[in-house]
Amino acid sequence: MSGILIIAEQRRGELRPISLELVSAAQNLRRAGDQVSVAVLAAAPDRFIDPLSVAGVDEIVAVKVGLAEFDPDTFESAVGALVAARTPEVVLMAHSVDSFGYAAALAARLGLGFATDVFKTERIDGELVATRGGYGQKVNVEVDFPGRTTVLLAIRGNVWKPPEESAAPRITAFDPPPVQSRAAPREFIELAAGDDIDMTGAEFILSIGRGIGEEANVPKFRELAAAIGAELGCSRPIADAGWLPKSRQVGQSGKTASACKLYIAMGVSGAIQHLAGMKHVGTIVAVNSDAEASIFSVAKYGIVGDIFEIADELRQHF
Amino acid sequence: MKILVAVKQVAALDEDFEIRGDGRDVEPDCLIRDLNEWDDFSLEEAVKIKEAAAEPVEVVAVSVGPEEVDETLRKCLAKGADRAVRIWDAAMEGSDSIAIARVLAAAARREAPDLVFAGVQSSDQSFASTGIAAAAFLGWPHAAVVSHLAYSPGAPTAVFRRELEGGVLQEVEIRVPAVLTIQLGINTPRYASLRSIKQAAAKPIEVLSPADLQLTAADVGAAGSASRVRRMYVPDKGRAQLIEGDTAQQAARLADIIREFKGAAP
Amino acid sequence: MDRTDGVTRILFEAFGPAEVRLFYVLGYAAIAIFCYGVYVQIRKYRRGASLELDGGLKERFGAMLATVLKGRTVDRRDPAAGGAHRLILYGFTLLFAGTATITLQYDILEPWFGIRFWQGEFYLVFSLILDVAGVALIGGLVFMMYRRGWMKLPKLDYSRPDRAPGDPDFNRPQYRREDWAFLWILLIIGCTGYVLEAARLVWLAGRAEVWDTRWWSPVGALLAQVLMALGLGEHGGGLLRHGLWWFHGLIALVLIALIPYTKAKHMVTSAASLMVRDPRAAQRLPRVPDSQAQAGAAKITDFNWKQLLNLDACTKCGRCHEACPARAVGAPLSPRDVILSLREFARATLESGKVPEAADLDVHGKAPGQVAMETLWSCRTCMACVEICPVAVEHVPIIVQMRRKLVEEGAMDPLLTKTLQTIHKTGNSFGESKRKRGAWSKGLPFAVKDARKEPVDVLWFVGDYASFDPRNQQVSRLFATLLHEAGVDFGILYDGESNAGNDVRRVGEEGLYEVLATANVDALSKASFKSVVTTDPHSFNTIRNEYPDFGGSYAIEHYTTLLRRLFAQGRLAVTRPLEHRVTFHDPCHLGRFNQGYDAPRDLLALLGCELIEMGRCRANSFCCGAGGGRIWVPDPVGAEKPAQNRIREAAAIPGLEVYVVSCPKDLTMFEDALKTTGNEGKFVVKELIELIRDATLAHRPEEVPA
Repeated sequence: MSGILIIAEQRRGELRPISLELVSAAQNLRRAGDQVSVAVLAAAPDRFIDPLSVAGVDEIVAVKVGLAEFDPDTFESAVGALVAARTPEVVLMAHSVDSFGYAAALAARLGLGFATDVFKTERIDGELVATRGGYGQKVNVEVDFPGRTTVLLAIRGNVWKPPEESAAPRITAFDPPPVQSRAAPREFIELAAGDDIDMTGAEFILSIGRGIGEEANVPKFRELAAAIGAELGCSRPIADAGWLPKSRQVGQSGKTASACKLYIAMGVSGAIQHLAGMKHVGTIVAVNSDAEASIFSVAKYGIVGDIFEIADELRQHF
Repeated sequence: MKILVAVKQVAALDEDFEIRGDGRDVEPDCLIRDLNEWDDFSLEEAVKIKEAAAEPVEVVAVSVGPEEVDETLRKCLAKGADRAVRIWDAAMEGSDSIAIARVLAAAARREAPDLVFAGVQSSDQSFASTGIAAAAFLGWPHAAVVSHLAYSPGAPTAVFRRELEGGVLQEVEIRVPAVLTIQLGINTPRYASLRSIKQAAAKPIEVLSPADLQLTAADVGAAGSASRVRRMYVPDKGRAQLIEGDTAQQAARLADIIREFKGAAP
Repeated sequence: MDRTDGVTRILFEAFGPAEVRLFYVLGYAAIAIFCYGVYVQIRKYRRGASLELDGGLKERFGAMLATVLKGRTVDRRDPAAGGAHRLILYGFTLLFAGTATITLQYDILEPWFGIRFWQGEFYLVFSLILDVAGVALIGGLVFMMYRRGWMKLPKLDYSRPDRAPGDPDFNRPQYRREDWAFLWILLIIGCTGYVLEAARLVWLAGRAEVWDTRWWSPVGALLAQVLMALGLGEHGGGLLRHGLWWFHGLIALVLIALIPYTKAKHMVTSAASLMVRDPRAAQRLPRVPDSQAQAGAAKITDFNWKQLLNLDACTKCGRCHEACPARAVGAPLSPRDVILSLREFARATLESGKVPEAADLDVHGKAPGQVAMETLWSCRTCMACVEICPVAVEHVPIIVQMRRKLVEEGAMDPLLTKTLQTIHKTGNSFGESKRKRGAWSKGLPFAVKDARKEPVDVLWFVGDYASFDPRNQQVSRLFATLLHEAGVDFGILYDGESNAGNDVRRVGEEGLYEVLATANVDALSKASFKSVVTTDPHSFNTIRNEYPDFGGSYAIEHYTTLLRRLFAQGRLAVTRPLEHRVTFHDPCHLGRFNQGYDAPRDLLALLGCELIEMGRCRANSFCCGAGGGRIWVPDPVGAEKPAQNRIREAAAIPGLEVYVVSCPKDLTMFEDALKTTGNEGKFVVKELIELIRDATLAHRPEEVPA
């Protein structure tokens, strides 16, 4: 078993950025002579060849599948066949909603070594070692895969930087066996924007979390955000409670605010799903009354204090 | 009609915790155990289907673990599960999500439900794998991150929505029986009063061993796992640069950061 | 046959035998209707759950009699009504006793035993007393009419805070009609009684013994003069008397017959309610027996007979409505309307021959007679209603019973659910690790003993807020310093302490309360101490009144009595008297619940402060709004909070410098309200402990931990 097989992700005609991060992740696992192949599964895979032609990719495998969008049975069958045919040592996927739908099933069925939400990979004495989080991300856990010839790793997003240079990998095609899917994907549904907000384009976001206490306090922060020129975002609990529309939820499941450069989080503790969505932001300022809040470990600047008092004071400056 | 809900008793770290002597886990007495937050939602979803159905629906909670897991199963019984099953023996120590999935699949074969629910992930180890791996062992259709579900007991398919990144949902129709992993926010889990939990103690919890499910030692524990823990350690936490001073000074510094950013923007 | 052995009034004089018989028939009919009504009421109470009373019936009866005759409870906060009611009560009682006396002789003693006493001097004095009683009755009634019709008292406004103006049961015009009908019937009976008396005198003016003794019935005699001046002669007087006799008699019989069906029944039900009262009703809530399938009250029949009696005792006086802090800030709760709704419900369901199906007995909801969730959750369990009720209605236990059922169903604000889950998991409402419970003491220059490990004299039960809330932690450190300087051997339980459970119980989560109480009693039983002190009135209340039901009886005091004693013993001394102008807010759970009004005031006097009381002080103290679990639930957006209402009351005191509290929740709520009402800078909110520390400071500032 040799080589690294990357499964790229696409959705609605766009290549998802994590696909390129996986290429960077593959590089430090590469041994001499190892090939890095990126497989893209789509009804029309050729359109993704260009964006995938980056440094570090030796081969792009175009896998033409029967459905335009992700489906567990379809992908599992196709990737399974590809793995059986190519016998890679390592298979890298995104730790994403799509891969939640089939990665574990693939690993179980094929008897692969398996770890998810991996944010560090290395070889120790020749053995593949992956590092992931444990006990709510409070500890790091190193895992290895004794006796497994092929290992499937689901890689955490926003950890590796995508390669900057382009390249000209060779292009091959792979014909997956026909499969009868047991599920039928229907339409995509955009969350009601409510106030026509598109967080994906916002460069400056002020987010509020459970620390604001009651719904009655939301207007104060909405007003503050407007005053300082930021978009108002929130963590999941606020959106789930209905205090702000879902369209304002920022984090792993909410809008990935990919354009955000300055992020002020007030009363956000930093649950991993929220952090995962915001880690890429250049400057994060966390304001929280709890000095031990997880968000202080990812923020650039921190203020340990009462968010209401800070909000009032800050308001004075604008 | 029957719905099997796989639940996990998760462990959260207390304030001061210590890594065990062998370096591969934490000292057990610093762990606070409770029902996995996702499983609260998946159990509630099952009970909601039961309460809305015209025909009788049985909701069975199943979990893997030693005796202390009974407390969590009792909570599930108080929240509306009809029966609870726990599977354990010493050989299962050290099982990862694939090994556990194999056991859950065996339990599902025994119970023969129409739907199997699991949480998207657990709040402690967050593998996000157990439910879907169990589906593979069962050979059933499966889907993950279900944030909305429409199912009439007895129907051949279910229609659900999965919650994607970027705040988009995708609607899918899936054949039943199926395994679905349920996302937070799909419903509002009911409160189980302590009295009802105490009264649920009257309902029995069936305890099985892997052998009762025709599983061998090779299927469980380290032998049945797809990964092995080498080392567990406390990472150096990146630390934010704390802005000191009184409230006015801190706010002033923050205002500066904002202005600097806006000045730099084109 | 005429009686001539002493002046008396001849009953049924000049009535034919048929008339007399008719009267007796009507009389017995009225009594029969009355008895049936009583039977229906008693049957209704018996349809409730059972309850054992403690205390002897004789003592209870004596206490009730004293209360009723003195009229003490009706006097409170409305001495005018108290006075008028006293007149009505005495007047009516005497008049009723008078009739009963006559019946006693006429129908029992004389025919059976030949005893006659209602004559001669006895008769004359009797007549005088009854005439005076009649004046009292009419005087009281006229005042009450004026009070109801002209004084426009807010507490007599029947519009409900939990209904909108369009709703059918919004302001219950039928109650007003009944109120006025009752007043008028009594007035008519009273007035016609006098006119009847006068008419008889005119009719019998020729009979010397009647006419010459007429001034023993002064009002009648006066009226007789008036009637005669108007030209009424003997014959006319006779006719008038005959007619009025029947009129007066019939109305009186109607009143008697209708007593159990109308407001008039309060004469019995209110007294009965006073007799079966539990003086610690709100302070010590009842346990839920394990055998009971459902916790709390879902159906009307889940209430016990005493509670059903309470519902009928209510006279709609409105004192609870006026005192309730939730109602005062516009929340959809009036204790009065909870009771009246349930009363109407009980009437509609439990007074019929057969008890309806269980489904029709559900008291929760928004239909007429039911109580809505929002109403129940608005309650702060401050017991202002229970404390002021003149007829001993116990509103708070009824509300908590209904909350218990809501908790079983999970029908509560999600934030409250989360807090209960947090308390279960960590033993405190802050979600902090148990091990951090004693962390507040680390900043002190001396070690605070661990009462789990070594014996102490005084065990200090600190409480959640004083352990985890930063502002209250400051106060805890000061209290520890005071005890240390006074040489008190004290300790705390550190992680062994859990939330005392007072508010968890009042939210209705009885199962969680049992877990907490049992854990605390267990921890206390393992420690060795002589007495317990606490800085938290909520903990004080539950440990003092409710823990004995869980096997834990301790000598517990609130810090105010302990510190007062330390001053008296000279172990603490005022070195710098404070000359602040202060006001004191009596915490509900210390003051109203446990009569702890004096120690804080004694301490303030010792400190040299000038105390100006607010209008609503002592037993009438206005709750800060945090009780009953409300500190864990946000108030509706835009509504006034009880704490703001209270701060505004204090702000009206000219030159006020310090608003003094002695409860951690009060400190939190009022400091917040000080800011949100815009009074920051005008005066400050301080815990009494902080003032004591200031005053006992021995001019060595570096010793003081902040």
